[in-house]
Amino acid sequence: MDRMSTEDRPPAPRSLAEALRGRDDVSLGGLLRSRPDLITPVPTDLTQLATRAGTRASVVRALERLDRFALQTAEALAVAADPATYDELLGLMAGDEADPAVVAALPHALDTLREQALVWGGDDRLRLVRTARELLAPAPQHPSPTGLGPTVQEATAGMSPGRIQEIVVAAGLPSTHDSVSAVTALSGLFTHRKRMAALLAGAPADSLEVLERLVWGPPYGQVTPDPAPRLRWLLDRGLLLPTAPGTVVLPREVALHLRRGLAHRTPEPVPPVVEAAAVHRPQVVDSTAAGQAYTALATVEELLKDWDEGGPAVLRAGGLSVRDLKRTSVALDASEPVAAFWVELAYAAGLIASDGEADERYAATPEYDEWRELPAAERWSRLATAWLAATRTAGLVGGRDAKDRTLSALGPGLDRSAAPEVRHRVLGLLAGLPEGAAPDAGSVLARLRWERPLRGDRREDDLRGRLAEWALSEAELLGVTGRGALSAHGRALLGAPAAPSGPGEAPSGPGDKLPVHHRPAPPRARLSPAEQAVASAAAVRLLTPLLPEPLDHVLLQADLTAVAPGPLEKHLADMLGVLADVESKGGATVYRFTPGSVRRALDAGQAASDLHAFLTAHSRTPVPQPLAYLIDDVARRHGQLRVGAASAYVRCDDDAVLSEILADKRAAALGLRRLAPTVLAAQADPAGLLEGLRAMGFAPAAESAEGDVLITRALAHRTPPRSAPEPVPDGPPVPDDTLLAAALRAIRAGDLASTTPRKPGTAPTAGGELPRTGSAETLATMQAAVLTGEAVWIGYVNAEGTASQRVIAPIRVEGGFVTAYDHTADEVRTYPLHRVTGVAELADDAG
Amino acid sequence: MNGPLIVQSDKTLLLEVDHEQADDCRRAIAPFAELERAPEHIHTYRVTPLGLWNARAAGHDAEQVVDALVQFSRYPVPHALLVDIAETMDRYGRLTLSKHPAHGLVLTTTDRPVLEEVLRSKRIAPLVGTRIDPDTVAVHPSERGQIKQTLLKLGWPAEDLAGYVDGEAHAIELAEDGWALRPYQKQAVENFWHGGSGVVVLPCGAGKTLVGAGAMAQAKSTTLILVTNTVSARQWKHELVRRTSLTEDEIGEYSGTRKEIRPVTIATYQVLTTKRKGVYPHLELFDSRDWGLIVYDEVHLLPAPVFKFTADLQARRRLGLTATLVREDGRESDVFSLIGPKRFDAPWKEIEAQGYIAPADCVEVRVSLTDAERLAYATAETEEKYRFCATTDTKRKVTEAIVRRFAGQQILVIGQYIDQLDELGEHLGAPVIKGETSNAQREKLFDAFREGEISVLVVSKVANFSIDLPEATVAIQVSGTFGSRQEEAQRLGRVLRPKSDGHQAHFYSVVARDTIDQDFAAHRQRFLAEQGYAYRIVDADELLAES
Repeated sequence: MDRMSTEDRPPAPRSLAEALRGRDDVSLGGLLRSRPDLITPVPTDLTQLATRAGTRASVVRALERLDRFALQTAEALAVAADPATYDELLGLMAGDEADPAVVAALPHALDTLREQALVWGGDDRLRLVRTARELLAPAPQHPSPTGLGPTVQEATAGMSPGRIQEIVVAAGLPSTHDSVSAVTALSGLFTHRKRMAALLAGAPADSLEVLERLVWGPPYGQVTPDPAPRLRWLLDRGLLLPTAPGTVVLPREVALHLRRGLAHRTPEPVPPVVEAAAVHRPQVVDSTAAGQAYTALATVEELLKDWDEGGPAVLRAGGLSVRDLKRTSVALDASEPVAAFWVELAYAAGLIASDGEADERYAATPEYDEWRELPAAERWSRLATAWLAATRTAGLVGGRDAKDRTLSALGPGLDRSAAPEVRHRVLGLLAGLPEGAAPDAGSVLARLRWERPLRGDRREDDLRGRLAEWALSEAELLGVTGRGALSAHGRALLGAPAAPSGPGEAPSGPGDKLPVHHRPAPPRARLSPAEQAVASAAAVRLLTPLLPEPLDHVLLQADLTAVAPGPLEKHLADMLGVLADVESKGGATVYRFTPGSVRRALDAGQAASDLHAFLTAHSRTPVPQPLAYLIDDVARRHGQLRVGAASAYVRCDDDAVLSEILADKRAAALGLRRLAPTVLAAQADPAGLLEGLRAMGFAPAAESAEGDVLITRALAHRTPPRSAPEPVPDGPPVPDDTLLAAALRAIRAGDLASTTPRKPGTAPTAGGELPRTGSAETLATMQAAVLTGEAVWIGYVNAEGTASQRVIAPIRVEGGFVTAYDHTADEVRTYPLHRVTGVAELADDAG
Repeated sequence: MNGPLIVQSDKTLLLEVDHEQADDCRRAIAPFAELERAPEHIHTYRVTPLGLWNARAAGHDAEQVVDALVQFSRYPVPHALLVDIAETMDRYGRLTLSKHPAHGLVLTTTDRPVLEEVLRSKRIAPLVGTRIDPDTVAVHPSERGQIKQTLLKLGWPAEDLAGYVDGEAHAIELAEDGWALRPYQKQAVENFWHGGSGVVVLPCGAGKTLVGAGAMAQAKSTTLILVTNTVSARQWKHELVRRTSLTEDEIGEYSGTRKEIRPVTIATYQVLTTKRKGVYPHLELFDSRDWGLIVYDEVHLLPAPVFKFTADLQARRRLGLTATLVREDGRESDVFSLIGPKRFDAPWKEIEAQGYIAPADCVEVRVSLTDAERLAYATAETEEKYRFCATTDTKRKVTEAIVRRFAGQQILVIGQYIDQLDELGEHLGAPVIKGETSNAQREKLFDAFREGEISVLVVSKVANFSIDLPEATVAIQVSGTFGSRQEEAQRLGRVLRPKSDGHQAHFYSVVARDTIDQDFAAHRQRFLAEQGYAYRIVDADELLAES
């Protein structure tokens, strides 16, 4: 394979910065697109870009975004020599047998790593970025996913030269004069397949068994102080090397020999294929999805209607109470998780929000009224677009957050930034299947895990997996998919190209699958607003003919029901919703007329004749006589009794007096209204009314509820028995003379002691001052010290505010902390950098 | 996509009856969906697990059911619903009760985890014996009914293939002289016999008694017939004597008044469920003979204790007869597990077309109380209220007007309160039959009515229950609620037969406006409308003005 021969290139880069400098704009653009954190803020030059690309946080982010094979490649590079050649890497990835799939896939994986600036250098000098190497290389604290241990050189670092010589001799090598060449010879033996095979051929069977157990990792084993002969044999020849008392390790070279060169037990060069669990006719898929899309609209409208006259209260911590969610789920005839999804969907689409009143409740937004006026397909596209982009995940509702608080619908803590990306990816995978094919959920999850191995099953809660499952079920609820397969309108919504139609195009063999993986994932994760608008419009065009036309008629029946054999026009549905109770929903709606429902319509301002006209206009069959009768019968009695509120009344046997009062302008403030010839109702309270009437020159008497005249007398108002308040003095009680005298004496004695002149003391030493440097300088000095391994002198303020000086040898600087060997305390400690007031290099004579 | 069927989210199916495919659709969904309401335009069917299992028992599979829904549905059927249907149907038949030559009654499974699941249930544990092999467990023979009931509650209905005892043989033949079983009746008998035990669903007036007689002629063994009341018992006896080789002496009546046990015994639910000192003294009836067949009339009214007895009778053939599987107490599942699955269901329309049942013209006349009556009604004690409004004076005037309008036709006036009836009889110049009227007198009046010598008859509720109440073309109900709604409709069907000359039958109920009388009427009308009876409401004033 002719890989990037170095001949016609400028001299090999010596650093990542140089390597970046050698890249063209397209390639750098690729880097910045895949690692957007590198340009926030925009770096001043490529050196700074390279530095930033090497920071731990950024490298971790980049690694988490690698697919499994690229990650495996990076892991292999981390256990290879630094720099490594392409062939060395290929050996680690493909093994001695040179797995053809790996051979084919490796260049792409390496390109990915190069593009991401995780690897630099030509094929003859491949270098993994140092931070990545530190993260991925095997170390006792974090074992490598490769299951490999340290190299012979690393493992023998602390070993006595005598012991090394013994091993070399036992392994059948000539003894050498120094440890370095001995170790090199030993490594040479272990990496030489034939000589190594010969060595192992002489091994006792049970010793080989021990190796067998350790070969795929973890490479560490426990030994007793007096090891068994089978271990002894291995230890003698350096096939196991001690790392700590009682612990031995299988050196990397030995493991690789036993693994036939493979760094990974199962290299996964090919992404798992998303399998179709079933294939339906595309028409069936589209119509099912359209049916579900319509149900989704109906459900959201129903939810909003349920909340129309004031939704549930907002919890103090935000969100919907469990009881309200339960009530909503009953109202929507759905399970609670599904109800939570609808509520969150309406929220994400901006159709509901908290009203922000003092007594906070959820309510429909003005947006909702606009939304309702849209044609059905557009209403759907609004919901679906909002869903695609939402980071809020309804699936979490009912779970608990890190602080063990219940996550409530519409409440805080539901945002998961990965949700839109996973959603797009899942639908993208569906879009990659032939039309009408419903995927096997397991294979979708496996594929997602392959694409983001570090983001998947490692985490205990497997958020991505759950997000993917939610995405699948929510897509079905929303009608983006039908019977599990992506519908035509769903595909359009994603802006995805038409499906690979014929089975001929579908990947059939391992080789064929490669292009699928390395083709840029279709569709791109996010569409721009303009692109999304185009995609939505296309989806609307496809969906519109599939949705049932709103009907303008119902069927009225003698059992006092009306059946709408399909969705109704909005004004008709609204009116019927008032005039009758909904009895059953679905494709059709069954309404039942009851005296109560007819009364409701009359209360809403309709007259009986309006109702008759309405029913006649919209019924395809004659209005049944009992229904017409019911309306008239209810209307006959409607409003016969009138109820109002008054706070007082005026009664007088002489209607002329009442007429006089009514005519008097001064009575206007009392809010009087004549109910009957001898009765006036007043809005003013009885006391105000009495006063007002008296002011007008009348002599009214108050009346009790029973109609007796109340005798007015000042009613003395009394509390229940109460004790008088205890006095609260302003300060302590006035001291008596004895106390005062004693206090004075004490004060004078103290005063004397402090004012007595004394001899001058010694001056403070200048060396006690804390070093002071700026934070940038502090960081730079620390980092330099890490590299040089030198000790520095720092000023440090601890959590209590106590300042101190310490001499430390920094080991690591990361995440705002410096880990260092503290000479002052004689142990390894970690200091937050912001507490370090300054740093100074030690004077040569110090230390 | 323009089918006659609409699938609702609550698993009801709406069938547009005027649609051209409506008939095909009805035939396709009838095996698994129960007709719930049949008003004029849209019929409502309901899909229940029991309905689906009934379909399974009748040999239909999930694919047929799903096909029927998908084929006729106007809108896409929710996938979840189809999956649910398939899963539900799949549950039937995983467990089978059968006879093992060595171990007696055994429960076997085709799906081991299901058996493991049910055996782990606390309610199943006491009913089963030893585990014979991984797929088979012995069942105590006495628990055959109990285990079926419990398994159904657990959602794993068992198919009962354990067979039946023959019972004491007794020659019974159908006496088909000048008449024959109608084709659907024959089919019903055949399906029942083939299935072993089960329920035959036929609309009122479609000749359920004859299906019973047919089954008895098939079984040719002693038979116990359980009916709702004495009237019904007499009617059964009358029919059996007429239609079969059985004579009066071979048929016994076991009721409150008579306690005869004969080769064919007809017992009322009431006597069976009479409890004295905490025991059911008439329970021994079940063991008094080696019955070969037990017939349950009006299964939807079967009282709860009878289920308990029935659980012990699983080795005998059981035939349930009913017009509807819907029970007001919701114990449909017990009917399914203890009597058996639905074996036959006749399409209402077909039988109606044969002229045996015909919807009557139902009219509700609303009368207003006078002011004095309204005051009396408002201040009456709760238990007296109905009487006050039901016997208002205006009703008499309305009744007279209706009688005048249908002068010359046979008219029955039905009421609950004797005072009211006496008064009506006096004003109409018609004889009154009430509880105290002697049998001979009753017989005489009925005959005269049949012969047309008298055209108006006033009957009380008590007389109304009498078996030989003659048919009429007009019935006027002035008071009375007459038990459950179904009972009402059945009575209606029995009294109101279309005349041979094609005269439509009329049913008037006179109801006092704005009272509980009207509330009762509303319930009744809903039921009537749901059964397909058209009805109208008219004001008394209008009616009086017309005449």
